[in-house]
Amino acid sequence: MSTFDRSQPPVSGPIRSFDFPEVERRSLSNGLDLRVCKLSRLPVVSLNLFFGAGEGGLEESRAGLAVLTGDALEGGTVERSGSELAEALERIGARLGVSTGWEGTSVSMSCLADRLEEAFGLLAEAVLEPGFPDDEVDRAREQQLAAIRQRAMDPGALASMEASRRYFAPGIPYARPQSGTVESIAPATRERLGEFAAAAYRPHEGGLIVAGDLDPDEIEAMANHRLGAWVGAPPETNEFSVEPATRERRVWIVHREGSVQSEIRAGHVGTDRATPDYFPLSVANMLLGGTFTSRLNLNLREENGFTYGVRSAFGFRSRPGPFSVSTSVGTDVTAPAVREIVRELEQLVEGGPTDEEVAASRDYAAGVFGLQLETAGQIASRISQLVVYGLADDYYHTYRDRLRAVTTADVAAATRAHIRPAEVQVVLVGDAEQIMAPLEALQLGSVEVVGVE
Amino acid sequence: MSQLTIPVERHSLDNGLKIVLSQDRTVPVVAVNIWYGVGSRNEPTGRTGFAHLFEHMMFQGSAHVPKNKHFELIERAGGTLNASTWYDRTNYFETVPSHDLELALWLESDRMGWMVEAMDQEKLDNQRDVVKNEKRQRYDNQPYGDWDERLQALVFPQAHPYHHSVIGSMEDIDAATLDDVSSFFRTFYVPNNAVITIAGDFEREGALQLIQRYFGEIERGDAIPPLPGDPSIDPLIGETVRGHVLAEVPLPRVIMAFRIPPYSSDDFAVAEVARGLLGMGRASRLYRRLVRERRVAKGVVTYAFPLLTGASLMLAWATGYPGASPEELEAALAEELEGLVEAEDHEVRRAIALTETDLVRGLERVSERADLLSMFELYFDDPDRLNRELDRLRAVTVEDVRAFARKRLGPENRAVLIYEPKGSA
Repeated sequence: MSTFDRSQPPVSGPIRSFDFPEVERRSLSNGLDLRVCKLSRLPVVSLNLFFGAGEGGLEESRAGLAVLTGDALEGGTVERSGSELAEALERIGARLGVSTGWEGTSVSMSCLADRLEEAFGLLAEAVLEPGFPDDEVDRAREQQLAAIRQRAMDPGALASMEASRRYFAPGIPYARPQSGTVESIAPATRERLGEFAAAAYRPHEGGLIVAGDLDPDEIEAMANHRLGAWVGAPPETNEFSVEPATRERRVWIVHREGSVQSEIRAGHVGTDRATPDYFPLSVANMLLGGTFTSRLNLNLREENGFTYGVRSAFGFRSRPGPFSVSTSVGTDVTAPAVREIVRELEQLVEGGPTDEEVAASRDYAAGVFGLQLETAGQIASRISQLVVYGLADDYYHTYRDRLRAVTTADVAAATRAHIRPAEVQVVLVGDAEQIMAPLEALQLGSVEVVGVE
Repeated sequence: MSQLTIPVERHSLDNGLKIVLSQDRTVPVVAVNIWYGVGSRNEPTGRTGFAHLFEHMMFQGSAHVPKNKHFELIERAGGTLNASTWYDRTNYFETVPSHDLELALWLESDRMGWMVEAMDQEKLDNQRDVVKNEKRQRYDNQPYGDWDERLQALVFPQAHPYHHSVIGSMEDIDAATLDDVSSFFRTFYVPNNAVITIAGDFEREGALQLIQRYFGEIERGDAIPPLPGDPSIDPLIGETVRGHVLAEVPLPRVIMAFRIPPYSSDDFAVAEVARGLLGMGRASRLYRRLVRERRVAKGVVTYAFPLLTGASLMLAWATGYPGASPEELEAALAEELEGLVEAEDHEVRRAIALTETDLVRGLERVSERADLLSMFELYFDDPDRLNRELDRLRAVTVEDVRAFARKRLGPENRAVLIYEPKGSA
């Protein structure tokens, strides 16, 4: 027995206010947007160099080339072999990573503060003077082809890939896998990579973000010294507008014999990062499937035990990305799980959220925002988002206020505008022989077994 | 970076609960982290996977906290939370804005003291289904997903507590009863088998008073029973043991594992450096030789598990390209591992430099600080060891690594697990 009344949660203490750290913005003469954030905690620095060499700008026949080129940067420079470059970085404890997305290429680095100058020189060398030797390009290509094979046998990856193909109209970059296909990657040679990098690795409208234990003046001098001669803009990108593959609700099964679970994706085309509904929609997603206590997770996991977990997400990109519910459920409960997912979408759209749900989600999002500003890497990647999506300089200073201003009516309206249960494409990777008939019995729409492309 | 200076303060309560405090007021965030000295090694025959299932039950409410309320309140506060079960321990953790420290302490103390009152059959059945789906998702339905259970069975003898995996078997998960839940709770979830760490933004005196208030009246439990089975183990496997799996996997993979000294041993640092030298970063020996130069592997991975009971485990795996012969891949991997008897000094220094950066970057987060401090307190009664981690690694010499390779990485101490794609043979 307790000696005092434990039945009520304790009252919160006084809030210690905390702002997003100050960011100094300085433009380099070549158009690169330099943003520096000084943090005095541990002697570490994180850095992101972003430029507009993205997969979204590529036509279908070159799909995956931006990813491959980014990966092949570790193959060395005109001065150093791949092993020498890696050795030079890692000898001083620096890590260099390249990630390529729809919008562009982001080269990130982290190191101890006293090694920044040396590490930054190596990063600049890797990006500005890539060597792309034949054997390294061949290796990077074979690795990417092997990864495509792995993806096709991983049920989760396979489901996500098939979902993109069913949500977006054919020919739109978002309909295809970001790292390309066997057909688009197999012909890649050092010449193609070299041409792509020469054209697309350009500073104009790109950004250099540095956060950590640093001196902003020194960073500016370093950036001018190492990147000052780098000029030009990436080529005009492959313009496209996003269309759904269909507006008719349908069910697609990728057959996987003997599968003990079914991977499920249910969704459709969502909206873009610039949408005025960004905040209400983020709140809507949280209460639908963005937290542990969301409607979907409480239903599918905590009430029914169908799954280890379920999530929903809007992929906010420069153009409308996917809205998707993702989970993995036991084969025998596949149809009931799909029924519950569709029911939850319908109920949210028709009935709207409760005031309590909206308040809880708002508080969660506003609180967690502060939690995710602990490390130099977290702060650098937040600032990078401003550059990538062209958001206002004071975006993070007003972020929590804008979240807290979201009302239940805003969330209900955003939900009605952006979630369309009647247009959902339900994609499953599972044992078709066992799940087909129960799925047909749900009468959600036609059920089709499809092959893997 | 010359020296770590993370503040560390130790206390304890009369009921045996150990306390570690580490203040850092830079950001208004605080981490609460509890390690219980129980894991899959404490599971008797017929109850594999129970420690992990029990961890799930810890989120099903307690006497004063209804089901789902724990998640709801922490999320509402803008916090994050989770738990994990491993061989030697189970940990529970929250990271919250610092003004909600008391909330996390209230929730953690309620389940440490009064969890079992809230249990019922419906909750057990529900979480049993969730855990079985976790096993399906992460092990059974995932290419290579069962590698750790296969490897543990190869490296550790039948009677050893590490012979079975943390997730356990479906049959044993099915067999778990409500009585098991209450007896496990009374045996292991006692303050004298736990460490609580608070790291980040808090006021020292106030935090100690809150811990005393919320945890002080929880009754001390009995002494923790000895491990089931036979924890004694030879330092070496004594031969090469093998497993061969023909499965629905996309690419061949060879996993090689070795018995190494336990985490408590001074020699474990040598294993950590050897592991980094072999597989950490792109200048690592295995990446350079197998991936970059010889191009026989698409990727390589190495681990050194920090395990306590008799021996620990180091492994190296290589994933081959489509159509590659697993035997040739195995031979290439073995050659490079054995080649470590001629490791060079610059390789050792590179591995130490990368490990240093990773450690320091990890410590940027209060949750990571708290987790490491809890571990060092629970395992070694020495949370300040965190500040000496760099010294421990820097003391490793190239001669140590060569001797380690001679003694540990040869065929007389090796388990080999091969995954071969079905239909490729």
